[in-house]
Amino acid sequence: MPQSRYLFAISCFQMNLLREAEAALSPANEPNSEVPNGAAGHYLLGLIYRYTSRRSSAVDHFTQALSIDPLLWAAYEELCILGAVGGASDYFSDVAASRIQQQYLSESSSHKISIGDEDRSIQSSRVLGLNDSSPKQPKNLHSNSIKEISNTHVVMAAGQAANSGSSNLSLYNTPSPVASQLSGIAPPPLCRNGFFNAVSCDGSSKPAANAAILAPRRKAMEEGRLRKVSGRLFSDSGPRRSTRLSGEATAGINSNASQAGGGTGTNHSSSSRFLGGFSSSSSKTSSAAFRTMTGRKGPSCISESFDEGRRKTEVFGDSCGEDASATMSSVAIFVDCRYLEEDKINLHAGGLSVHDSKLINGIRELLGLLRTLGEGYRFSCMHRSQEALEVYQKLSQNQYNTGWVLSQIGKAHFEMVDYFEAARFFDLARRVSPYSLEGMDIYSTILYHLKEEMKLSYLAQELISTDRLAPQAWCAMGNCYSLQKDHETALKNFQRAVHLDSRFAYAHTLSGHEYVALEDFENGIKCYQRALQVDERHYNSWYGLGVIYLRQEKFQFAEHHFRRAFFINPRSSVLMCYLGMSLHSLRRNEEALEMIEKAILADPKNPLPLYQKANILLSLERYDEALMNLDQLKECAPQETSVYALMGKIYKKLNMHEKAMFYFGLALDLKPPATDVAIIKSAMEKLYLPDEMGDSL
Amino acid sequence: MATESEGEEDAATAAGKLTGIPQLSVEDDLREMANKAAWSVSSCKPGNGVLSLRDDNLDTYWQSDGAQPHLVNIQFQKKVKLQLLVLYVDFKLDESYTPSKISIRAGDGFHNLKEIKTVELVKPVGWVHISLSGTDPRETFIHTFMLQLAVLSNHLNGRDTHIRQIKVYGPRPNPVPRQPFHFTSPEFITYSCLR
Repeated sequence: MPQSRYLFAISCFQMNLLREAEAALSPANEPNSEVPNGAAGHYLLGLIYRYTSRRSSAVDHFTQALSIDPLLWAAYEELCILGAVGGASDYFSDVAASRIQQQYLSESSSHKISIGDEDRSIQSSRVLGLNDSSPKQPKNLHSNSIKEISNTHVVMAAGQAANSGSSNLSLYNTPSPVASQLSGIAPPPLCRNGFFNAVSCDGSSKPAANAAILAPRRKAMEEGRLRKVSGRLFSDSGPRRSTRLSGEATAGINSNASQAGGGTGTNHSSSSRFLGGFSSSSSKTSSAAFRTMTGRKGPSCISESFDEGRRKTEVFGDSCGEDASATMSSVAIFVDCRYLEEDKINLHAGGLSVHDSKLINGIRELLGLLRTLGEGYRFSCMHRSQEALEVYQKLSQNQYNTGWVLSQIGKAHFEMVDYFEAARFFDLARRVSPYSLEGMDIYSTILYHLKEEMKLSYLAQELISTDRLAPQAWCAMGNCYSLQKDHETALKNFQRAVHLDSRFAYAHTLSGHEYVALEDFENGIKCYQRALQVDERHYNSWYGLGVIYLRQEKFQFAEHHFRRAFFINPRSSVLMCYLGMSLHSLRRNEEALEMIEKAILADPKNPLPLYQKANILLSLERYDEALMNLDQLKECAPQETSVYALMGKIYKKLNMHEKAMFYFGLALDLKPPATDVAIIKSAMEKLYLPDEMGDSL
Repeated sequence: MATESEGEEDAATAAGKLTGIPQLSVEDDLREMANKAAWSVSSCKPGNGVLSLRDDNLDTYWQSDGAQPHLVNIQFQKKVKLQLLVLYVDFKLDESYTPSKISIRAGDGFHNLKEIKTVELVKPVGWVHISLSGTDPRETFIHTFMLQLAVLSNHLNGRDTHIRQIKVYGPRPNPVPRQPFHFTSPEFITYSCLR
């Protein structure tokens, strides 16, 4: 019963019928009923609350989900996004460790017995979807995936339930990147007992594959059929991540505990599995196929350590294999199987105690890793980028060089307005995992800022060919057009991204920017507000709204919005600058200057605050200071016409006409756009006339 | 409709004879301004109405159907800066329907239009670029609510006229709001806004 409720809820959620989904998970007339499916159910409920703007309930449920299953990274991510996380160590603590351990041990005992049954049930499900509609980036590109997702959990849950009482675990999609991606390799439905299942596998999963799965992971890679799938797979969001991460984490652990087969700490599956997979992949290295993890994995042994204990098999039917061609799109199924190798089983039988200790070690290490990653992610969500960077530095080399971590680091640099570094990191991330789409929208924005047309268009093409249905790809394409000032086409592309996933806040923000460029402020405001509905902490939308109001001369509103944006991301010098500008328009010049000073300190490379400061000083008639600042600016940006024009204006005010003429001439020599030419020339003509009212210049 | 104003002194600075070029060549810092404007014509033949002037299709044309001068009125919602007017005409296809003398007027409304430019076309084929600027650098743009294009006479003394497309260009707004000047160097532009 509870499983069907959960399935129903997932289906409703996919179709955006949030009310029904909520009713299914926590019916109004039974206030004390338990949420079905434990952690996953709480997670889904949390998502529903989040999208219906009930933040505190959402936070509650995510916390509960994490307490039931500390390895549900997706829930942790959501908490970070909502800005409600205390500290990663709270969630990935020793209490969590003992909990996992318990779950593990209880499972392992019953495991052997139920293996047979489970396999069967698992097999049937085959499709495994990712943990419920990956909230953030539902890449449910295809109906298949949706089906899969809905089916999977339920089925799995059913399977699991038999097995172990509260295995929430099954719901995690522990995608092993390996599995997914690589197409061929993929391990399609690697069921838990891959071995046993080999026989039972039917349908999509290639039975043959099963057996071969372990070893041939690599081979699969070669096939590269899943390229497309892999794209999709990667785009997957959080939930997968959890498994992935656990996988990663376990990789390390794997080496210790692999032989033991159970070693892999985390219950979710994957860990060991992944690891195994990873290792293989890593050897492959092409890394391309794999998302983050792979690269790092390093040459660990392929012997996937499987842990019998693990139950949760989310079997993800992978499209790979024969089916793959057919169901390429659906792919994203990760199979989290615990597939055990024969010997493992033997081992298992014999060495339970050994297994246990490894288990404990594994859990601890995994939690340690999750703690670090969690801290880093939390900091970057709170936009404390500097601290986030420090935390990420603590990771081991292997972990550091994965796509996910590298793109998080790139994102942190981006928030600090350090575009060159950010671009460098994203480039690395792309090299490590070329098919990962997450965070690529930010990379395209960075390239837009750096005006790298070639790279941007190349990136956009690649992303689209990787995954035509991912909003990030279309965002990149739109950025490309916007860079060439073709705002209408850019807008079309962003609208496509919005259609593909209306819960992807950045697409809305970018459409807002395009509307503003086309001077359609009304629609721009609507777009920004939609973005804020999805994610209230998306400071770009607050910034966009501020800009619109600034243009419409509604300075109070502008200041309010910039301040909100600044509150969310206090490290961006551009935001500080704009806040200063709006304060200046409100004639609160002292505060404006203060804010600008902060901006200058925050990022000495940014010329904008200096320029604004000069502007403000000019209006305050502190000409000499203004000139000093402009001189400084001259050094770092000698080709900038506005600097010379402003200097000319100041000299004109000071009645030093020759200097004024000199600077105006300089400005004109640098070929400013026509409007400026008009202004400057008329200023030159009026040079010897007294200044009229206002600042005609 | 519009009263023809004298403005002879302005006509004196009218451009010389224009012939039109096959390519539309507009500078990058200009953008098309009249998408949100209200377009109207003094008369038209059914099937060849004002929509043909804005459909980006050079095969469809507007054909007038009344007495000369034939007028195309463009009314904006607020005062805008305009710099360039471009129209596509084709003598080879239209012969006696091709406009020959065109007068451009600007003002706040029908009641106070003033002629700002007169041009003469000589067997034009292609896009005819008519700059709206004056000689003074301060007059690079005209600020106006309304623009009127009057076809005073056609080639070979034709009565009605064909015009295939009209576009109006003005400067781009400064992407950074409330700035006196545009930023031109990459260092500034990179940091000038968030996205």
